[in-house]
Amino acid sequence: MIRRIFAYLLAVAAGCAIGIGSALGMAGLLPGTNSLAFGDVDVGGWRSDFATGSEAADAYTRARVARHGLLALAKSEAVYFTRATDDDGQPLREACTYRLTTGAMPAGWWSITLYNGDSMLPDNDDEALSINAGQDMAARIGDEIVGQGGTATIAPRRPEGRGLWISSRNAGRFDLTLRLYMPDDALLADPAGTLDPPQIERLACEDAA
Amino acid sequence: MSRWLGPVLVLLACAAGVHALTLNVAPGFIMARAMDALAQRGVTLHDFTAPRRISPQTQAVVRSSPDLYYALCRYDLGQNGVDQAAEQRLAVAMAKWGDYQSLSFFDARTNNFATVRGTGKAVAVNLLPPGSAPQKGAIVSPSAKGVILIRRLAPTRELFDQAAASVGDECRFLAESGPQTGLSR
Repeated sequence: MIRRIFAYLLAVAAGCAIGIGSALGMAGLLPGTNSLAFGDVDVGGWRSDFATGSEAADAYTRARVARHGLLALAKSEAVYFTRATDDDGQPLREACTYRLTTGAMPAGWWSITLYNGDSMLPDNDDEALSINAGQDMAARIGDEIVGQGGTATIAPRRPEGRGLWISSRNAGRFDLTLRLYMPDDALLADPAGTLDPPQIERLACEDAA
Repeated sequence: MSRWLGPVLVLLACAAGVHALTLNVAPGFIMARAMDALAQRGVTLHDFTAPRRISPQTQAVVRSSPDLYYALCRYDLGQNGVDQAAEQRLAVAMAKWGDYQSLSFFDARTNNFATVRGTGKAVAVNLLPPGSAPQKGAIVSPSAKGVILIRRLAPTRELFDQAAASVGDECRFLAESGPQTGLSR
């Protein structure tokens, strides 16, 4: 009888542990879980959840966004794409230098910002953690897109010259978030056919890894 | 074999139940912790807090953008100590700004239940408690507590300072007991 009671107690404890662990894991809330493995949109490695911020988001999306994208806007106002790998599929790392190339963006305004593995801005004072539509990369006047994009360097130190720079100093492994404010209707309807995804070319690494 | 059937069924039932419960509770738990953190960082109840420019040293919320001006207001439309017969509401206003700006509302489960864009213009709305009848110019909050956020496009220090100097942002709690009574803040 005692063994039977013990078996039930063990079943309850194990069931609770499995339930919590599986929920946190499937929602991307466990430490070390790659939250970028989720999402319903993938354009050239840039992943997004168009359900972000809305009540239509399922329980997994809502839990993950609460952790990694708290206070994010619904897609009618802004969409967010995130990418953690370069064009060769390798993780983005502080030790490497990358060339970021953008095209025209289907939105009223856009920016690309670097975040560390905790979804926070890396701890440095370079004041170079993002680039945006106002920096002569891919501007538009009214509804007309003017200019076809440009390039920026992602590196732990400011590169020589006057080009745009995103600092990865103290970021460790990092990812980039592309914000598209006031997105075009076409982007929401057909993201893969509308967004020209920014390219991330690895130029060099300071370590052998 | 049959002696293990009961414990196995209990294990599966507990796993499924706790799995669903965890997912259901997580957003509210995370939002509550975030609101506590905001309160500790000086984001007051029922007032837009003048922000500091987002930087690695000042960030309070994950994935904040250094290109935007954020002003936050926490709200609680179910406060204790308020006359329960009084009609509670929040008068929310966003001052004019020459570039993109928006006023967004988030409930206690992190849902962005309303957003009003105000590029080049001022905006004013009332926020009503859960269950309120719809009114023109008003938004009904799905939960008593939540957060309101003003975003202004301000990617440079100069633009941020201009955004911070804007006069007219308002997040004011009102409890109206009747047509002849005054409003208390």
